[in-house]
Amino acid sequence: MRNLTLLTVPLLAGCAGRHNWLSSAGAEADRVEGLFWVLLIGAAVIWSAVIGAAVYAQRRQVDPGLEHQARWFIVWGGAVIPTVLVCALLIWGLVILRDITPDKGDLTVRVDGERWWWRVTYDGPDGDVVTANEIRLPLDQTALFRLTSDDVIHSFWVPAIGGKMDMIPGRETTLALTPNKTGNWGGLCAEYCGGAHALMRFDTVVMEPDAFDAWLAAEAAPARVAPDDPGFAVFRDEGCGACHTIRGTDARGPVGPDLTHVGARARLGAGIYAMTADNMARWITDTHAMKPDADMPPYPDLSGARLEALVTFLLSLDHAE
Amino acid sequence: MRYESDKQPSRFGPPGYAPRVIDQGSVWIMVAAPTLWALHFVASYVVAAVWCARIGPSLTEPRWIIAGMAVVCVALIVWLATQAVRRYGGVFVIFEEITESSERGRDKFIGHVSLLLCILSGVAIAFTVIPGFVFGSC
Ligand code: HEC
Ligand SMILES: [Cu+2]
Repeated sequence: MRNLTLLTVPLLAGCAGRHNWLSSAGAEADRVEGLFWVLLIGAAVIWSAVIGAAVYAQRRQVDPGLEHQARWFIVWGGAVIPTVLVCALLIWGLVILRDITPDKGDLTVRVDGERWWWRVTYDGPDGDVVTANEIRLPLDQTALFRLTSDDVIHSFWVPAIGGKMDMIPGRETTLALTPNKTGNWGGLCAEYCGGAHALMRFDTVVMEPDAFDAWLAAEAAPARVAPDDPGFAVFRDEGCGACHTIRGTDARGPVGPDLTHVGARARLGAGIYAMTADNMARWITDTHAMKPDADMPPYPDLSGARLEALVTFLLSLDHAE
Repeated sequence: MRYESDKQPSRFGPPGYAPRVIDQGSVWIMVAAPTLWALHFVASYVVAAVWCARIGPSLTEPRWIIAGMAVVCVALIVWLATQAVRRYGGVFVIFEEITESSERGRDKFIGHVSLLLCILSGVAIAFTVIPGFVFGSC
């Protein structure tokens, strides 16, 4: 009995997980879940009926008088009913797919899959708001995601809320997500895209609409960087700005994630590490130990006061007034 | 019950006699219906691809073309099914096993298989048409 409990505890813990599509944290996941239960229970019923019929047929004496009926039973049970059921399931599945890929939403979020992180652009009230690796959504509103990729195929998935949908180079795909539970839900790339694929993740934070609006306004604001900030001096000297953008400064590199408010994100390296000073220092000096294959060069020579100043500067890029 | 194949001559006719492609004795009827499905499938893809690339983001018009082709194909399949019944003596449900090694037994078997393939192809064509009616856009 104890062994059984030990076995089931991790299973149950999995059900409550932030990556679990049975958490029903979104309208789209609920649609798919509905289909799942019908398929599962329906399959169980049909399986039992078929096995039951087989066992019954084995046990029974052959009765030539029933041959005629038996053949019609096979025609109905083996051909007509399955055809009708498969047809109904096809239509149901297609309707779900149509409904979760609309062309309008309450807000639009563009997500570009990159190896191995996410470029995120909101349609803000005053134009585009560019950020990365963290997606925030207002509760009970339908966010329309416009998904693209400029390298290989990725797949965008927030299991607890809905999805998934492929991101295909040269094409734009859409996906709706209507979260209905606040919280922090996990997102990930669901299509193998190269070395660090398994480390290509993101947080999806579902907020009350007011809090979301405040967050979006803060995210839209440029960074406040003091002209004599010693950390920014290191950032500039090391050439980080060739790849990274910090709005409000002359760092406008388009290659890596936008760092304007990197300190406001909960996680580092596309959703994989806590945003702490230690992790940040390691990320900069020993990038590939943190994330093998990441497309950022490590800076092993940075140390001491310069590294500390750079880390302090990056973590200060948050939303605080 | 009497089958037409009982009275018809076999396919070995007098010199110059060419058997019809779809007639008792010929097996082509079995592949005809699945071929119609395949043609419809390919044509649907071509119509949708050309339409989406050249004309526009809406599938509302080409889906009627696809449905129209489906009607034609299903009509041909229905005709094939009637041939399978009339000329081959095919039945939907076989109640007595076909064991005789005779022209008639073979015809009945071919008719039965063709009839089932006609039904399958009809359903498959419906499955090709349905997505076009659920999705309105390319
Ligand atoms: C050659 C371009 C390039 C240069 C130069 C570069 N980076 Fe990066 N950086 C990237 C890429 C690409 C990523 C995303 C890696 C990933 O997650 O797979 C990244 C990620 C980061 C992240 C994590 C962002 C997040 O949202 O988690 C930080 C912080 C960062 N870089 C800081 C720096 C600093 C500081 C420097 C200079 C010392 C620097 N980078 C230099 C390309 C670059
Ligand atoms: Cu991937």
